[in-house]
Amino acid sequence: MLLLPLWGIGGLCLTSCDKDFVEINTNPNAVSVPTTPYIFSKALYDGAANSGNKGSLLFGLMQYTTSYNDVEGFGSKYTASQVNATGGVFSNSYPTQINEIGEVIKAVKDDPSKVNLYAAARIWRVFCYSRLTDLYGDIPYSEAAQGYNLSIFQPKYDAQSAIYADMLKELETAATSFDAANPTTFGTSDLIYQGNVTKWKKFAYSLMLRLGMRLSKVDATLAQSWVTKAIAGGVIRDYADIAKVSYLASGQNINKNPIAWQLLNDNYLRADGVNNTEGGKFQEIFISSLKTNKDPRLGVLSVVYVNGVASSDESIQKGMPATINGTKPADFVTYSEPKQTTVLKVDAPLLIFTVAEANFLLAEAALKGWYKTETASALYETGIRAAMQQWDLISGVSNVIDKARIDSYVTAHPLKTAGTVAEQTEQIYYQFWVGIFPDAQEVYNNYRRTGYPALVPNVYPGNATGGKIFRRFLYPVLEQTLNRASYNEAVQRQGTDDLLTRVWWDK
Amino acid sequence: MKKVRLLKKNQHLLWISMAGCLTLSPFSFVDAHKNKGILALNSAKVAVISDLTGAVLSAKDATPVVGASVIVKGNQRIGTSTDAQGNFKLTLPEELAASPVTIVVSFIGYEPYELVVSPAQTAIKVLLKESAQELAEVVVTALGIKKEKKALSYSVSEIAGTGFTQARENNVANALTGKIAGVNATGLSTGPGGSSRVVIRGNGSLTGNSQPLYVINGMPIDNSVPGGSSLANGLGTKAGTDRGDGIAAINPDDIESMTVLKGGAAAALYGSRGANGVILITTKKGKSQKGVGVEYNGTFSMENVAVFPDFQYEYGQGDGGVKPTTLAQAQATGRRSFGAKIDGSTDYVAADGKTHPYVAQKDNLKNFYQTGTTLTNSIALSGGNDAVVYRLSLSDLNAKSVLPSNTYNRKTANLNISAKLSDRLRAEAVVQYNREQGNNRPIAGDALGNPNWMAYEVANTVDVRWLAPGHDANGNEIFWNDAGIVTNGYFFINKFKETDTKDRFIGQTSISYDILKNLTLKATTTRDFYNYNFTSIMPTGGQYIPQGQYDGIKSDVSETNSMVTAAYTTRFGETVGLSALAGANTRQFKNNQFDFFGQGYTIPYFYSYSNLATSTATPVASTIKTNSVFASADVDYKNFLFLTLSGRQDWFSTLSPKNNTIFYPSVGTSFMLSDVVNMPSAFDFLKLRASWAQVGGGGPDPYTINLAYSSVPSASSVPLQNVSSNSITNAELKPFTSTTTELGFSTRLFGGRLSIDAAVYDKKSTNDIVSVPISGASGYTSAILNSGELSNKGIELLVEGTPIKSSDFSWNTSFNFAYNKSEVLKLADGISTFSIGNSANGNAFINNQVGMPFGGIYGYRMKKDAAGNIIYDTNSNLPLQTDNNQYLGNGVHPYTMGLTNTFKYKNFSFDALVDGKFGGSIFSVMEVYATRLGLMKSTLPGRENGLALKGVTAKGDAYAYTVPVANLRSAYYNNLNRYTELFVHDASFVKLRQVIISYNLPVGALKTLGVKSANVSLVGRNLLILFKKTDNFDPEQGLTNGSAQGIESIGLPRTRSYGINLNLKF
Repeated sequence: MLLLPLWGIGGLCLTSCDKDFVEINTNPNAVSVPTTPYIFSKALYDGAANSGNKGSLLFGLMQYTTSYNDVEGFGSKYTASQVNATGGVFSNSYPTQINEIGEVIKAVKDDPSKVNLYAAARIWRVFCYSRLTDLYGDIPYSEAAQGYNLSIFQPKYDAQSAIYADMLKELETAATSFDAANPTTFGTSDLIYQGNVTKWKKFAYSLMLRLGMRLSKVDATLAQSWVTKAIAGGVIRDYADIAKVSYLASGQNINKNPIAWQLLNDNYLRADGVNNTEGGKFQEIFISSLKTNKDPRLGVLSVVYVNGVASSDESIQKGMPATINGTKPADFVTYSEPKQTTVLKVDAPLLIFTVAEANFLLAEAALKGWYKTETASALYETGIRAAMQQWDLISGVSNVIDKARIDSYVTAHPLKTAGTVAEQTEQIYYQFWVGIFPDAQEVYNNYRRTGYPALVPNVYPGNATGGKIFRRFLYPVLEQTLNRASYNEAVQRQGTDDLLTRVWWDK
Repeated sequence: MKKVRLLKKNQHLLWISMAGCLTLSPFSFVDAHKNKGILALNSAKVAVISDLTGAVLSAKDATPVVGASVIVKGNQRIGTSTDAQGNFKLTLPEELAASPVTIVVSFIGYEPYELVVSPAQTAIKVLLKESAQELAEVVVTALGIKKEKKALSYSVSEIAGTGFTQARENNVANALTGKIAGVNATGLSTGPGGSSRVVIRGNGSLTGNSQPLYVINGMPIDNSVPGGSSLANGLGTKAGTDRGDGIAAINPDDIESMTVLKGGAAAALYGSRGANGVILITTKKGKSQKGVGVEYNGTFSMENVAVFPDFQYEYGQGDGGVKPTTLAQAQATGRRSFGAKIDGSTDYVAADGKTHPYVAQKDNLKNFYQTGTTLTNSIALSGGNDAVVYRLSLSDLNAKSVLPSNTYNRKTANLNISAKLSDRLRAEAVVQYNREQGNNRPIAGDALGNPNWMAYEVANTVDVRWLAPGHDANGNEIFWNDAGIVTNGYFFINKFKETDTKDRFIGQTSISYDILKNLTLKATTTRDFYNYNFTSIMPTGGQYIPQGQYDGIKSDVSETNSMVTAAYTTRFGETVGLSALAGANTRQFKNNQFDFFGQGYTIPYFYSYSNLATSTATPVASTIKTNSVFASADVDYKNFLFLTLSGRQDWFSTLSPKNNTIFYPSVGTSFMLSDVVNMPSAFDFLKLRASWAQVGGGGPDPYTINLAYSSVPSASSVPLQNVSSNSITNAELKPFTSTTTELGFSTRLFGGRLSIDAAVYDKKSTNDIVSVPISGASGYTSAILNSGELSNKGIELLVEGTPIKSSDFSWNTSFNFAYNKSEVLKLADGISTFSIGNSANGNAFINNQVGMPFGGIYGYRMKKDAAGNIIYDTNSNLPLQTDNNQYLGNGVHPYTMGLTNTFKYKNFSFDALVDGKFGGSIFSVMEVYATRLGLMKSTLPGRENGLALKGVTAKGDAYAYTVPVANLRSAYYNNLNRYTELFVHDASFVKLRQVIISYNLPVGALKTLGVKSANVSLVGRNLLILFKKTDNFDPEQGLTNGSAQGIESIGLPRTRSYGINLNLKF
């Protein structure tokens, strides 16, 4: 009552009080309309970076590296106090590559002129999801990354079987939807193939081969049908078709090879073999194996610092035991560590799918009788050669392995075709282990599926698994509170959220 | 006593209107004079003469009242004043001398007294009663409006400026600790210049800011921490550094008084910004006087680490029961105390490579930290004439922390000029310039660069000084423990370079003009602007980041307010008074910030942003505008019944244009019951009050309405872009509301000897704008929703008394108590819990969970069966973990109290403040590490023969296993970080917060120097912890002023300080 007349003072405000508000509330450092190709590039970088390969975890678990300390050594020791570190890939991936590729797909999927963009984005999305589900099993998939679009804040977890079914279907649909006659592609924003539709198609079928083969343990028939389909579609067999992301020597961290940068940053920036930040070194098992087999990669991958100078002298290479209990050994400097010009090279391309991998998978398919055009032994040999050759790609021709040494290695390690299928599979996946390095995650996937290489677990005091190599990663602990119902449902279906619970295709 | 007379006249009417609520007979009241303690004694005499003589004495002790005015009522020209003996002589003109006249005797501090003098009286004696000050006291309320205390319909607490200047805290907000019921203030353990956390009546927002608005002379200032508050799990130089808040810049010497508006009706005129209460600071002004008044205040204080952990000193450095005898072993076990029994043996080698006797080193905290010092010098000049008064103050504060290399300097210049330009026109200007400079503010939170980790974690047979200076001749950090991320504290002290400078200008100008005698227009504009520069160098040669890292913040922050008001007061006859106010305000907040980050100094040891291998400069801009109109009306009925109405409408730029405005009403009433009812004579007065108010606000952050996309820094030729924020924007965002209902009373008894003020309140926030953390699988990590509901209910009690009061000795005591019950009512649809912070490594979480108090501590427990047996995992030989959502304690104390006692004897005074907080808990990261590293006494079992574990398996079978000594650390104690419950403790405490022993020097001898008064005090802060339940640390060991409280994370240890203060007035 009394207030009403006084309102007059502000009366002028009532009509114009918010007239400049829209402008004020517009972020001067952001745009409202996305540039889709730029987001696609970001999704490629992020998808390549956020995987089980980041950090020392899978490198330790697959017995490539170790540390005397418990934190960095977690992967090789399964230290109980560090188990929650396994949630990181999940939490890092969704708000980055998964959401980004979703933004890309949202922008292009209904535009027929952007069919090639849509197809490439779908393939990359499959790649990104496959990396996640292989580590965790059941994950949010059908409802994931819909926080903004559909206000789904607690996405349900899908069964891995359903995720695989959808991913394989997506690959097939995307591969067949490419239109080579349509000139619209991501062009230079496509960090993998610069818009080359033919190569994308091969990548799609290669992923189909990889994911199809993944099902061999749980459902051989299904696996065979997808593997056959993939081979028919045409997988990556030529060096020029290798799926890889290129990086730069300097600039932002996102522009650097994520595996190399992380290893370097975690341990090897000083490059003196002594003051390794987290006490990291190559593991004994890996280096001994290369040495025993006179593997020409030894000098390409590994160095020992002698008086502060890196030496690739194969005779002095030795790996550090993973059993060291928390104390830096006095002879720490004498252990091998990754070479700065190869494994730690930040402008090396990151190989996403290689000729070597295709050949090893095909060799297994041949062994299983699913592929009859080539022999297992020929594919196996081609795989070894390709795996050795690709170090020139990684190192930028500075570490080309001498052809004579490749020949003698191949001669010394033929596929023992007289042996059992199991023995030959072991040979193939031993080569996968030394050949696909540093893609430790893909090695881990095939290790779980095939059981090879026959790694002997480390029984370390205070380990979380009772001295067993763990079979999956734990969900991020935040999921227990922020997405409780979905989390519980997944645990109910899949089994305890435990390092030893097996994912669906590993059962 | 005009009021009393009015009352008498209208007593009957009042009884009718107030009928039913009282049982006393309306006709049984006694003489109001008696009730008010006023006595008039006649010395009988009859004569018609014109001179009236008399004496005016204090009713209390019959001492003369000097300078009291004695006037004839209605004819002020006829008057005189009392002399040094209290005597007066009043000459009445003849026309008055023949008939009875009314004489008014008054003096400041006493209740005025009227009496009718008949012509027969020639001499009178008047006993003046000291005024029950409450009645006349005026307090500053919202927008600087002064109101009589009795008119207040809500609880307001006031502290005089002297409460901050003797035993001073660098950050004046910390000085509120324990002083005001309902105000929960805590200083942080982040060194001098650190932030404060003040929460009034419970946390008001689930994820937003819950701290009050600070207002100086009626206008808001900025209280943000540049670059954001440090985080409880903050890692590294930016996230782990507390850069100090806005209130830290205020010089206590400039404060005349501080008034706390606890929210609701008190703060309703501040609309959106009053939701968490308002702290009003009134600065000192000049006085009209002859010459220049000069005041000097100097304080020197020292501080030392106050709390020491109760570690074990039976087994020394080493692992597996073996002490190190080589350098390599010593380096690997630098933080491990799982070695051999401490036996004084001489073959022990420490991380310095030298042999030392294997003996316990118990003084590492004392040896690592130094005695901190703070020297403050302030000088103020004031003066003026009837037209212009001024006050200029200059102050310099120089502090050295207990952590060597950590310093803080604050210079303040404050000028206040008020001018009366004409009878109707007044102007006032306040300008403050200050410059704050910090160096090497300690990094807290996580390990990297946190100097305290070494002091607290170094093995117990190592003298920490052996690890100095922390670097080799080249400046590279010396390896001292197994984890490079745990920085050598001396390397931090000697080689880290953090500097921050804040140049701040606060300007306020106002002009007011009286259009009519009772209608005043006022225009005020204020700007609080600062320019901030922060650079933090993690140097080349560190163990963890060998090539170094750079963090920088450059920001320009401004808060600008322009306000016009019109104020009108009138009385309708004798019965109804009205004062009304209306106005409009526009507020603009702007932050233009660049965050700099880089890694790898290309030229080693050369620390320039231009010398980084990788660098990014990220712009962060925000602009917020709020426009408001408001009005209030205060109506009183015969000065005993008061009604306050206010309304404010705010428009927010941060909200959706569809819903960007809201109206906040408030209504309050206060009633002087004692003026109406005949109270027992013990009561001086009794006031009842009630109020209801709605306040609220817009979105705290701009740009949360629409999805946007930002470029991502990239060196490649291919541009990168991403969504701008991991937070889901909300186009529907509307204002939130906070509704408070408050009831209370205040009373004064026994002639002012005892006063009680009590309040109950119920505050509910609805539609709270919550940045709800959501599953990352949604593609985002949070969503901004209008969904929260939060309740705070509580009681507040203030009891003040003067048990002894005589001319030489007095004892004043003041006790305050508050209880606040908070409850999270709603978060968002389908979301019943989320985390607002967590400890380093995620061992403990601060969560908001529906049905539970705000900010509880959550985490894991050991799994137990129904019989209480621990269930062991037979793989790891460790107890199984429960899920991480176990409630382990309240992160916020629901109970707070404070007790101040002041004794005065002649020129001496002694003042002691004891305060306590109860019912909250704290999670200790320090204890997590002290357990993993073997420092805790709880790690002693098993050292000799291995640790026998007993329990059950998951299947329910009996389980037994002995952890061998060799693996005691790695297989067992190192993994106990998995069980949050082990490290959560009751954080209740009682502290002797402050002691001041003060002496007013007799100035007689100093008079020749021009000294008018001199005071010297011995002061102490945080002297003793009288009660605590944490064995190893101070339960107030907080390190962030953000919402996630209840985590101790190895910040700078809490200190006790003591010093001397000198105040001189010329």
